[in-house]
Amino acid sequence: MCSLALGPADCTQMKINQMENKTMEGLQIVVCGTLVPDPLQTLEPVTTPTVPGLKNETMLPSVLDPWAAHSLYEAANLAKKVPGSKVYLVSLGPKAKLQQLMMTVAQKVPFELVAIDGSASGFTDAMEVAKTLAAAIEAIPGLDKARLLVFGGCASASRDAGVTMQLIGEQLGITDQFVGVDEIRMSDDGSFSVLERIEGGQYLASTCAGAPAVLAWATGSLPEPPNNPQVGMANMRFVIPALQKARPVAVGVGSINFEKSEVPAQKRATRIVKDVSADVIAAEIVEWIKG
Amino acid sequence: MSAIERMKMEADIVCVGFGPATAGFLTTLTRALLKEDGTPAFESKVMPGMPLQIMCYERADDIGFGVSGVVTKATFIKASFPDKDLTKEIPNAVAAGDEKVAYLFDYLGASQRDPGTMFVDAVFKGGRFFMGKCPEAAELPWIPPFLRKEGGIVMSIGSFVSWIGAELMSSGLVQIWPGTPVSEPVFEGDKVVGVRLADQGVDLQGNPDPANFMPGMDIHAPLVVVGDGPVGAVGRTLDDHFGLPEGNHQHDWAVGMKAVIELPESCTLKPGTVIHTLGYPEQEIFGFMYVYPDRTASLGIFVPSWFDSPVRTTYTYLQHWMQHPYIWRHIEGGRLRSWGAKSLQESGVRGEPYLTGDGYVRIGEGSGTTNVLTNSGVDEAWHSGVLLAEGVIDLLQRDEPFTKANLDATYVKRRREDKLNADLQKAKRARDGFQDGFFKGMMGTGMTGMTNGAMNVSSQSRPPSQRIKTLLETFAGRISEQDLAAAVAQCAKDKQPLHDTLMVLAGWPEIKMDGELLMSHQDVLFKGGKVQAAGGFANHVTFAHPEICRTCKERTCIEICSAQAIMPGEEGEPPEFDREKCIHCGACVWSCSKALPEDPEKTNVLFGAGSGGLHSNEN
Amino acid sequence: MADILLVLHTGCDGSLSKGALESIATTVDLSAKLGGSFAVGVIGAGAGAAADTIAGCGAEKFYVVEDEAVATPRYSSDAKAATALIQKAGAQIVLASGSSRLTRCMPGAAYRTGAQIDTHIVALAVEAGVLKAQRWYYRQRILTTLSRAARPWVLLVEGGIQPAWQGAAGVAEKESVAVEFTAVEQRTVIKGVESPAADAQTIRPDAALLFVAGAGWTKKQADGEYHISDASTLIQGFLNKAGASLGSSKSLVDLQSDGQATLSFMSHMNQVGQTGTTPRHAKGLSTCCHGEEPHAVGWRFINERRAINMDANCGWAQGKADVVYIANAFEVIAKVNELLG
Repeated sequence: MCSLALGPADCTQMKINQMENKTMEGLQIVVCGTLVPDPLQTLEPVTTPTVPGLKNETMLPSVLDPWAAHSLYEAANLAKKVPGSKVYLVSLGPKAKLQQLMMTVAQKVPFELVAIDGSASGFTDAMEVAKTLAAAIEAIPGLDKARLLVFGGCASASRDAGVTMQLIGEQLGITDQFVGVDEIRMSDDGSFSVLERIEGGQYLASTCAGAPAVLAWATGSLPEPPNNPQVGMANMRFVIPALQKARPVAVGVGSINFEKSEVPAQKRATRIVKDVSADVIAAEIVEWIKG
Repeated sequence: MSAIERMKMEADIVCVGFGPATAGFLTTLTRALLKEDGTPAFESKVMPGMPLQIMCYERADDIGFGVSGVVTKATFIKASFPDKDLTKEIPNAVAAGDEKVAYLFDYLGASQRDPGTMFVDAVFKGGRFFMGKCPEAAELPWIPPFLRKEGGIVMSIGSFVSWIGAELMSSGLVQIWPGTPVSEPVFEGDKVVGVRLADQGVDLQGNPDPANFMPGMDIHAPLVVVGDGPVGAVGRTLDDHFGLPEGNHQHDWAVGMKAVIELPESCTLKPGTVIHTLGYPEQEIFGFMYVYPDRTASLGIFVPSWFDSPVRTTYTYLQHWMQHPYIWRHIEGGRLRSWGAKSLQESGVRGEPYLTGDGYVRIGEGSGTTNVLTNSGVDEAWHSGVLLAEGVIDLLQRDEPFTKANLDATYVKRRREDKLNADLQKAKRARDGFQDGFFKGMMGTGMTGMTNGAMNVSSQSRPPSQRIKTLLETFAGRISEQDLAAAVAQCAKDKQPLHDTLMVLAGWPEIKMDGELLMSHQDVLFKGGKVQAAGGFANHVTFAHPEICRTCKERTCIEICSAQAIMPGEEGEPPEFDREKCIHCGACVWSCSKALPEDPEKTNVLFGAGSGGLHSNEN
Repeated sequence: MADILLVLHTGCDGSLSKGALESIATTVDLSAKLGGSFAVGVIGAGAGAAADTIAGCGAEKFYVVEDEAVATPRYSSDAKAATALIQKAGAQIVLASGSSRLTRCMPGAAYRTGAQIDTHIVALAVEAGVLKAQRWYYRQRILTTLSRAARPWVLLVEGGIQPAWQGAAGVAEKESVAVEFTAVEQRTVIKGVESPAADAQTIRPDAALLFVAGAGWTKKQADGEYHISDASTLIQGFLNKAGASLGSSKSLVDLQSDGQATLSFMSHMNQVGQTGTTPRHAKGLSTCCHGEEPHAVGWRFINERRAINMDANCGWAQGKADVVYIANAFEVIAKVNELLG
């Protein structure tokens, strides 16, 4: 079914077609995700010499970006179902903060950490981040793109652009990409079906012939796993060495010129209505709805 | 629970709680774990061929989330880092500078004052000429040496402990796990063989949910280091099992509630300023304010267990204290950024439990290290951990087991011979006078302080539950019986605590919220970053005998609850507990007005290990 | 060669969405500000006919990709099609609406054409000849104005910043752009769209009002009992009568996973705020919800806000809402439903 002009992606496709008759091998699920400030914190922008940042950024407690976290739990869930699978977490952030983050994440699910020491700021350019992450993925020993699924969040709580996963995929030559995923169902032959969120609370249902693919997750369907000390102990044995050898990388704002960053005042002059009957309130609300 | 099959994990040393004491222990211990050539000095007994497997389990969601602006002389801490300037290492730490102790006048006239206190009021008012012209207050012209913090450091314990934790983790020599509540020790007879983590995947009553049940793992280790603080579940279970040593008691407590605020631009206080207050809003309440760099301050109050009002509430009193002109002049126009509360063990060395047993040791505040004369605890807790580490290293080097006898001969011996113990013994009776009132208490502390513990005031100590007065007694002469009864009935109907209503009836003005510094109790909870606790854990505050609660008139647990997590339930029913709001301060435990029938030294409130709590590391 | 290329796509019925029409208005506006011209590229089934419906928009050219391969949304084929359009049009600035289809594929097209890309743009301005864009960072907490010197520059714009374009249909000057779709693009096959049943659909982006239900609905009420089924009835009744969209706070949604008594028609999809959505309804009514910051940030684009809460000191009362009614939501909503008939 290939056309005469085959590009690199087409060759991969042919190889995959040949493999389709084999029993499914274990997957390599690489999750891209990093820390964001704990949503419960107050965030204030500051302007460092050239770029915006957050006030006291190093001090802010951080969590694994929520959608990336969902994708990590989904990855672990999928890896359990497909024998021989392995989960990697590729994370770009300041080393000390990644270490702190691991204390809360490493007890959740088994994974192998690939740490890159650099900025986790939302103000960095997505393309620079994507190039850095893609390079780290390519460098994973034993990486086999025919078995590779790249997971991550469909957007982050920091940059919230919703483009980084696609750019990583492009760098890796992966053209099957899904954004806003809530479900993956894997078949025995390696093909899978996916539900992606689209407008109006609906889902787009697709099937894909198999890896490689990029899945940028929304919330998925799994609850956050409880902390498991055995998982933590096993993970941590490799997390610390991974952090110790984390390569420092400069990830900047690319071609962005930031002119202004502000926290617009949200304060309204609230009118408080009390000691008034439900009837009166209801009438006022209905008038407002209709008006 | 014995029918539940639990997974087991083994470690060489397990630590419960990561606070200053465990930080001191692990810092000192890890310095001895590698030989000069970088290879491990000791081999693990549970994983042969590997270095020692050392685990620390901390309940809070992050090790930096405790509540904690402090000023400390940091003598022992500094000794652990002779080559470092801690004010440069610990974020936002600053050298202690200008110190003030201020006696605040009851400028609103709503405070409840003993004759002794009124005498003190008069003395200070009369002597104001010599004590600086401050609004509605008098500053002591001279601070007694035992209260001074010169040479010390103003810092956040959260920042300090986070810094230590990061260093420890990056060494790879220990693993520190937050978000992991430990519910109890694991006994074999009187020997402690490990700890049990809290069950997950259970309903609020602790019943397993078949789909999600994850029984708490048992972590076995030859040595369990218990540094879980004054209200930690493991420490208190050990106290239940072994009792307290003869003559010791834990009758004295306080709840410290504090906020971190952004000072207004007009504020002239320099970083390092240390302010302590007494006398307001009630004679029993002490306050503090420590100024950090970048126009930030940590401030708050302590409400002690010898303040016998059943409606002693901390947050409303904190708001009144903030508005006292002496304080308000510095903070008006500022913004509250963070908040929290914690229980303090104020019995000091008199509250010391058995420090050792077969397989376990106690360190830190839960082991009675608080110096109740100098009002310090962080430095002392740290040092108890250091002393333990020295003892443990000694035993490791001699390859001796962690029996009670060995731990006594190494850790306890060091502790008893150390300056730490000498200071704690001198301080032992410094607070005794407060059992009989503010005036006697001040005299007692002064006497103990000026004579270095040689002379002390004596008094009879009672458990807090025996001290709490009835509502009628508390408000006699201030609120009529009818008004009191009506207010109680209305609050029961509205399912609200009594404190604000009764304080207003007693003459306190309503708090005018501005949403910046003064806000509702629910809003300030969010400032502490507290919105949720991980699901799947049981309620960690329960009432041992609900029938006792049904007839309780004081319900001090509701009034003292720092987070309004304990609230009135149905009329005639025990209070209700919302685990998602609880900040784990433990004040309910020692504020309950009903003694536990089985052990009158304890109360009807049971406080276990649970998930959640404060979520801000700005503290 | 136009200065701006606007990329559109058709829906499965061949029509252009409201967001697409708004992006036309944005393009017309920007083009005027830049003093330049714009072209339009349309991808999807019936793309040519769709171009005709907007023939009068002022575009100097319409490029169309109408292959079978782009009849349904799919990253690989859409990215290829968008890439071809960008290369064909040669514009330095590429605009598109932030629909799910374009959000998915435009980053790929940007990569392949060496373009910069920014998304969730809420405002565009030209100052001293420089194009400046505004977008929110950290989930509607920090508003930033930025520009880029590098070109091409792809900008995905949010809905609601311009009214939908209205104008004459006609016969557009169309050029079909040939795109080579191969087996690579066939690896993913669209099966269809799954929608909840009409009466179970609670997310209505086009509704005039967002109704947010907070955790208070599922807590014990003044009589000490839970009233979950009453809450359900009242909330669903309101949604139906008012034609409102349903949002929730994180705490209510989390309760679902905690095994607590729940409102069965709500899910994570309804969640508004820090880790949920940021809806854009003109009016929002919050009920039984405290209004804490992580939730309230999701209200950034709701213009008129009212809340019903028992607590006069809740977050809504501290400047986050226009009106707060201190009342029992069960009673008020029951009455409201009666009045709405």
